[in-house]
Amino acid sequence: MAQSVAVKTRDTENVSIEVPLERPSEWEPEILAFACHYCAFAAADLSGVMRLSYPYNVKIIRMPCTGKLDQSYVLRAFERGVDGAFVAG
Amino acid sequence: MIVGKQKPLDEIWSMIKSHKNVLVLGCNTCVAVCHEGGNKEAEILSSLLRMRASQEESGIAVTNSGVERQCEHEFFDSVKDAIEAADAVLSTACGIGVQFIAEKFPTTVVYPGLNTTFLGAVEKIGVMKEKCQACGNCVLGETAGICPVARCAKRVLNGPCGGSTKGSCEINKEVDCAWQLIVNRLNALGQMDRYETLAPIKDWSTDRAGGPRKQIREEIQE
Amino acid sequence: MSQQRAVKTDSKLEKILAAGHLAVTSECGPPRGSDPDVITHKGNMLKEYVDVVNITDNQTSMTRMCSLAACIRLKQLGVEPVLQMVTRDRNRIALQSDILGAASFDITNVLCLSGDHQSFGDCPNGQNVHDLDSMQLIQTVRYMRDEGKFLGGDDIKRPPKMFVGAAANPFADPFEIRVPRLAKKIAAGVEFIQTQCIYNLDKFELWMKQVRDRGLHEKVYILAGLTPFKNAGMAKYMRSRVPGMDVPDDVVKRMSDTPKEKQAEEGLNICIESIERLKQIEGVHGFHIMAIEWEEKVPEIVKRAGLWPRPEVS
Repeated sequence: MAQSVAVKTRDTENVSIEVPLERPSEWEPEILAFACHYCAFAAADLSGVMRLSYPYNVKIIRMPCTGKLDQSYVLRAFERGVDGAFVAG
Repeated sequence: MIVGKQKPLDEIWSMIKSHKNVLVLGCNTCVAVCHEGGNKEAEILSSLLRMRASQEESGIAVTNSGVERQCEHEFFDSVKDAIEAADAVLSTACGIGVQFIAEKFPTTVVYPGLNTTFLGAVEKIGVMKEKCQACGNCVLGETAGICPVARCAKRVLNGPCGGSTKGSCEINKEVDCAWQLIVNRLNALGQMDRYETLAPIKDWSTDRAGGPRKQIREEIQE
Repeated sequence: MSQQRAVKTDSKLEKILAAGHLAVTSECGPPRGSDPDVITHKGNMLKEYVDVVNITDNQTSMTRMCSLAACIRLKQLGVEPVLQMVTRDRNRIALQSDILGAASFDITNVLCLSGDHQSFGDCPNGQNVHDLDSMQLIQTVRYMRDEGKFLGGDDIKRPPKMFVGAAANPFADPFEIRVPRLAKKIAAGVEFIQTQCIYNLDKFELWMKQVRDRGLHEKVYILAGLTPFKNAGMAKYMRSRVPGMDVPDDVVKRMSDTPKEKQAEEGLNICIESIERLKQIEGVHGFHIMAIEWEEKVPEIVKRAGLWPRPEVS
């Protein structure tokens, strides 16, 4: 269950901010990268060609352009259990 | 246009959490312009609610849809089935849309996703300001096109009051004094002599005071 | 000094002004409770030294004993009250009704105000009414008195005979309409004016000159408002925090340069010097001394300013 605490912001407004859950020590986050076809995705591709490794828990989705990114893509990723989104373009 | 502001997620969650199948319904006219209740915002809100449901381990199903305007019958054809299939609708329209759904679907529970804030204009992107209170008896012709009913904290018709300071209202420096704006504009129009005309005691019967208002155009009435 | 004007009511204030005397008025705020002694104590303190005493109407929007009840208390003491009425809390039904209630006790003076916004008080979440504005309240009282009718058009049996006043703030913005605004209040039917506290005498003199240029000083009695500073902190607060107040830096400096134990005395000195200077201004018909929670100093101010004893009128 998510818990929240009331935090005083500068406006002295009470805003509830979630407290992160306890996580097991062996836990690795699932990261989804939204990468632009013309730059970031090309760079990821190049790293493969050059036999450079990057963490296996990062999954990449190729975008025609990061301008195509929509709030709903990121939210849908979170809904499906992704822990972080990475947008590169 | 009508301006609204999304209610806090906690408040929305507490309204809908006892239901099983909730439809978040956007309204793509006024409240879409202020980025609070359009079909896009309804989609985002429904995603946030699904995440909340999974955090709370609730079995509630949240879907979303939207229409052009929730205040006219003709726009509801495409969502009629979805509304009837849901056991509650969370409308992100203004209060008018929420009530329109309530009247149109007598056995469906409907909740407001927004607080309807005011009738205003988009001063610049992301900044909406109140301009009108629909008092039903427009005085803009006497006040240089600036409304003291909506824009003066005391709706003073013969202003400004003694609290006007350096162009600001006494309640808050961020609020323009409507009467300072009126005087500035009368000056710009070369009509300062009009300032001294006394505004008569106002007939508020056309305002909220007169009870719910209704208007009929007989020649086009169905 | 002032021109002779016809007396239309039994108001002692009106008679004193019409006789050409400099009037002295003061005010007291009703208590935040139901203890009548607060009013009678302040009333007795002021009785011999001022002509009439204003009773504020939930000033700064803090809920207090109602002005009308406190006015009745004063009246019973033999002190003539000025009923302050704000349009913030009552609609035209309640305002007319309270005017009749006041008139039934022969309260003969009313001051018509819009009132501070409720956000300053203890009920910032409350509604405000503002069915009428201050000018329209002036018109309402005059209509009830002169035409003997309610706003709805029906006749009033024994219409209220009230001398009608209003406030004017010569220092509020925009300055260019301060005089036209006074003219507008006069057109609405106001008969006496009590001004905002005056600390910037140069600006007040300029305002009075413009008032005289339009001959308005002959149409309305202007009572200059004064509030003595108790200490330098109050001067600074009034300068920066009170809307529509103009406290020049040199006045604040004079207070802060005075040793703390002598600041109260200096505050009174400034007030008395101001009265002396204001007496020289043509069109000033008297003084409205608002010694906020310091009513006990009013007798001293009145005496030192040469305004005592007060004239008798019948």
